[in-house]
Amino acid sequence: MKEINLTVNNQPYRLSVPPHRTLLEVIREDLGLTGTKEGCSLGECGVCTVLMDGKTVNSCLVLVGEADGKEITTIEGLASSDKLHPIQQAFVDHGGLQCGFCTPGMILSAKALLDKNPHPTEEEIKQGIAGNLCRCTGYAKIIESIKAAADNMGGK
Amino acid sequence: MSELSVIGQRVPRVDAWEKVTGQAKYAADYSLPDMLWCKLLRSPYPHARILNIDTSKAEKLPGVKGIVIGKDFGGWSWGWMPATRDETPLAVDKVRYMAEAVAGVAAVDEDTAEEATGLIKVEYEELPGVFDPEEAMKDGAPKVHDYVKNNISVEYHWNFGDVDKAFAQSHLVREDRFRTARATHGYLEPPAILAYYDPTGYITVWASKQSPYFHYRHLAACFKVPLSRVRVVQPFIGGGFGGTKNDSLGGDFCAVLLSKMTGKPVKYIESMEEELATSRRRHSVIVYSKMGVDKDGLLKAVQHRVVADGGGYTAIGPLSMYLNGFMTTLPYKLPHFKFDAYRVFTNNPIGAAMRGHGVTHTRFAAELQMEMLAEELGIDPVEMRMRNAIDNPKPGETYETINKVTLKTCGLKQAIKEAVEDPVWRNRGKMPKKEGDISWGVGLSGTSYSGGARQMGHQACAAIIRLCEDGTVNLITGATDCGQGSDTVLCMIAAEELGIKLEDVSIKRVDTAYTPVDPGSYGSRVTILAGQATQKAARQVKKQLLEVAAKNWQVKPEDIEIRLGEVYLKSDPSKKMPFIKLAHIACYSGTGAVIMGTGYSSYGIELLDLTNGIGNGGCSYSFTAHTARVGVDMETGQITTTDFTIASDCGRLLSPIQAEGQIEGGAIQGLGQALYEDFIMDKGKTLNPTFLDYKMPHALDVPNIKLIDIVTDDPFGPFGAKETSEGSIVSAPPAVVSAIHDATGIWFKELPVTPEKVIKALKEKK
Amino acid sequence: MITFYRRLPKFNYLAPTTLDEALSLLAQHQGKARVIAGGTDLVPKLKRREIGEPDYVIDLKGIAGLDEIKQDAHGLTIGALVTIGAVETSPQIQQKFGILAQAAQSMASPQVRNRGTIAGNICNAVPSADSAPALLTIGARLKLISQKSQRTVGIEDFFTGPSRTALTDEEILAEILLPDMPPNSKGVYLKLTPRRAMDLAIVGVAAVAVPEDGVCKDIRIALGAVAPTPLRAKKAEEVLKGQKFDDNLIEKAAKTAAGQARPIDDHRASAEYRRDMVEVLVRRAIKQAIGSQP
Repeated sequence: MKEINLTVNNQPYRLSVPPHRTLLEVIREDLGLTGTKEGCSLGECGVCTVLMDGKTVNSCLVLVGEADGKEITTIEGLASSDKLHPIQQAFVDHGGLQCGFCTPGMILSAKALLDKNPHPTEEEIKQGIAGNLCRCTGYAKIIESIKAAADNMGGK
Repeated sequence: MSELSVIGQRVPRVDAWEKVTGQAKYAADYSLPDMLWCKLLRSPYPHARILNIDTSKAEKLPGVKGIVIGKDFGGWSWGWMPATRDETPLAVDKVRYMAEAVAGVAAVDEDTAEEATGLIKVEYEELPGVFDPEEAMKDGAPKVHDYVKNNISVEYHWNFGDVDKAFAQSHLVREDRFRTARATHGYLEPPAILAYYDPTGYITVWASKQSPYFHYRHLAACFKVPLSRVRVVQPFIGGGFGGTKNDSLGGDFCAVLLSKMTGKPVKYIESMEEELATSRRRHSVIVYSKMGVDKDGLLKAVQHRVVADGGGYTAIGPLSMYLNGFMTTLPYKLPHFKFDAYRVFTNNPIGAAMRGHGVTHTRFAAELQMEMLAEELGIDPVEMRMRNAIDNPKPGETYETINKVTLKTCGLKQAIKEAVEDPVWRNRGKMPKKEGDISWGVGLSGTSYSGGARQMGHQACAAIIRLCEDGTVNLITGATDCGQGSDTVLCMIAAEELGIKLEDVSIKRVDTAYTPVDPGSYGSRVTILAGQATQKAARQVKKQLLEVAAKNWQVKPEDIEIRLGEVYLKSDPSKKMPFIKLAHIACYSGTGAVIMGTGYSSYGIELLDLTNGIGNGGCSYSFTAHTARVGVDMETGQITTTDFTIASDCGRLLSPIQAEGQIEGGAIQGLGQALYEDFIMDKGKTLNPTFLDYKMPHALDVPNIKLIDIVTDDPFGPFGAKETSEGSIVSAPPAVVSAIHDATGIWFKELPVTPEKVIKALKEKK
Repeated sequence: MITFYRRLPKFNYLAPTTLDEALSLLAQHQGKARVIAGGTDLVPKLKRREIGEPDYVIDLKGIAGLDEIKQDAHGLTIGALVTIGAVETSPQIQQKFGILAQAAQSMASPQVRNRGTIAGNICNAVPSADSAPALLTIGARLKLISQKSQRTVGIEDFFTGPSRTALTDEEILAEILLPDMPPNSKGVYLKLTPRRAMDLAIVGVAAVAVPEDGVCKDIRIALGAVAPTPLRAKKAEEVLKGQKFDDNLIEKAAKTAAGQARPIDDHRASAEYRRDMVEVLVRRAIKQAIGSQP
């Protein structure tokens, strides 16, 4: 078994898990945070995206030992008590989601993008979510939602 | 129509909050204490007899609690029609496609279950396989099923008018062969189920089912449990798009049986590679299309001979082949039509339904062929379509095709007019044709899809509306929101009918223990049919409330109106009360009343005449005019799609944000099937069962999409609505391929049009 | 028998804190251990049981000093743990070895680039590895270290076959040395893919040109995805070296490069298409490198 310490959504956890577990499995099955989804399991679809020390990663590709000592943000960590994060709110308002399965990963990729680049062009938005597949929306309203979030967060 | 208060508003979907916060639970998110994990063992051969299965070593692995094989299901099989029940939960005597499941293991954790499958020894006798439907039809081809001749799973021969005479009289006739891609749904949520068979003989499953009541009936039949003791609880669904999640899987039945055997809940999740390699796909179809026109380009006759790759089992095949043909008489006037359809068994994965079911193949062929004829005749493609398009019937009138498809609204001409006025088409002559190595082209398509499917068996949707004493309302229905947004639309309909605000209507997921039976989410039927049921249930509640209000105010019920939560006297709106007060009065009248309304859709059934192809497959039909602009790199063949303009006649958009999302999403799925998506097969083996190589569009691949809303207010309704979800997946491929022709001068008749195919064709042209 | 795995095979996870420790573990567990840096190639391969089931996975990320891009008198050194994302955004790399930054930008997805390493990309050694053509044109040298020895291997000698390298079971690729490029050199990496994201290269072409008054002072052309290993198209280079850059000569070089390719048919593309595209991409890459084409 591997002992690890990690912080998830500002909560510290100490876990004892078999070393061949992935961060995705630990988040979903040991911590019960099922907001992060499992899609392709191979790092090709992006639905398992979480922030690890501020950067987006495919959590299905991170071994649990590699997450030791790291700060993880999952979708559950974005909203504050009763208020949605502006990106979440923008997705709600602009229809940036349909079935919702890609949404947690998509929103976190959007967050990583806007944290680094608060006023992205449309091309930069598309590059920022290039690792997140969506099968429902055709991306149109996702891009619109991220633009709106950028506007709202930039205080325009 | 009097001014609507909720319908037509741009509102967020009712489940948006749960989805953006990660609170929405999908099938794989459910767990129960003591749960076991199920894993399937699959066949390494596409066609083989199963001689022996030895599970003894696997049984001894610590942690393994149960193993099932094909025989354990007692010979039960299922299928879309009684005569086509040829699929078993696990293969029994033979496997008929690569990686068909042959055994299932339940163990204390998934690692152990996976390890155990490796310990099961299966002896196979490999059989020669057949992988091309035209080869499979020939005499002497390996037999996939013994109960049919020449591997023909489904066969239809329809004949309307006299095509031979019409062709003889045509000014110009073309014959071409088209082929559509091996495409699949591509949802990001792999199918999953958590099953519990409790010892009293009650089955509960949480399963990613787009139409839970199909599964409910399958479980009842397979396990001989009464329907009242089958509970399918529907989680949120991560995309359905018709097909697999509208049916049951071997893994579902294994999970339930293993639960029965072990007394514990059993969870089964497919890996995505497993899903892409083994699951139901869209049929890949060869269309031999013959089309004749007069000198003005008016259609005289269309003859289609269609050969579909059915894969190893029938599944929904009979409907697929029907849908390939019945709408060929839309959206253009067609006086003569002959249809010969063959769905052929092969040792490939099963061909089944997908969004745009059936129509997409033959409409692709017919649209392109019409453009080819227009080109030969020197007729402008817009003019060609306008001459042939069905006119919008006048109010009260019905248009009927030669195979008795009837419709009351058709906005195709208006859609075409507006689509071509948009700059993408209008400016195509003014923009540079060549820029460096890029050749630009613009294409157009005019297509149709059916909505409100109500075909055979049980086809009525039902809704229950329950008024709470505080004036809020619960909407209970068996209709499924698989991500398309129907929950939102139904809540809006309920709110509009009752006269209350949308936020006061609450809806929860389907649970067959509580919700009324529903035929399912397919054939773009939910808004139309479940919508009608919701309207009726709401009106029943409203009637009761108006009677209470009338008594209270000493007037007649028809003197009162309710709108956005306010109850008022029509003749003097200053006489009013809040809805919440009326609810209170109603609920507390006498010793207390329970105010509920029920309704079910009453559009009846049109029994599909599969044999002759006569009649309606739906209640109404959407019409789409779609322009596309592409740039073709003439040296590499790479294609960039820059613009889509999509003019859609969907009757009336009830929930515009949701409807637009459906049109945009469908168009991009269509783009995927036009340019990128194809399973590459090698003797039954799928070479690209991953998202790396089954290439669905990414954000960087999509064009700017402009939507134009054409309102025709169809009388079927509700509120004039027609289907919105499948029109654009049918319109996109021909529009894109037409644009590629404009850019390259080449007609591509096989999808997808990959860069390599473009270069090959350009070379051959030289 | 076919089982589609969702879980990884069981292994022991080791997290050495020094390079010596890591090397000692590798030597100790000969052949039964796998090294992990970014994991974006290793984890999928383990999941699909493509490389068997190693007893040990040795995580290098606890070792200090391996994640730096260092400058010295001769050029730049990229440590084993430098991510593709770091290379993509490094001002030093963008300035001095722009072609490598271009290659990095073309890889996979933002998520994968945040984890995957350039060293890992080379060691995984698929013929389509995007960093390889760029590194070949740069003439990168690789520092391979084992418990017993250290050696430096030129990248042109590193790839020995599809997914095979000169690295032994006991060695780690510790550093990638990039010798300074000639002044006035410009490099272009072109990657041919059906989609604009996520795809492996069907053909990858790297070209670095050193023009001087319209004459080709130096030219380096490397090809990916069209042979068992990434390779330098030296014969194509010879066509141009010392000659004036003109369209006909560039075309001849491109054709020569296509002749040097040994592509196969696979489910992504045919050999014929690949060969044809080598010619197109080499021509475009050279022209872009000398600025005669945008």
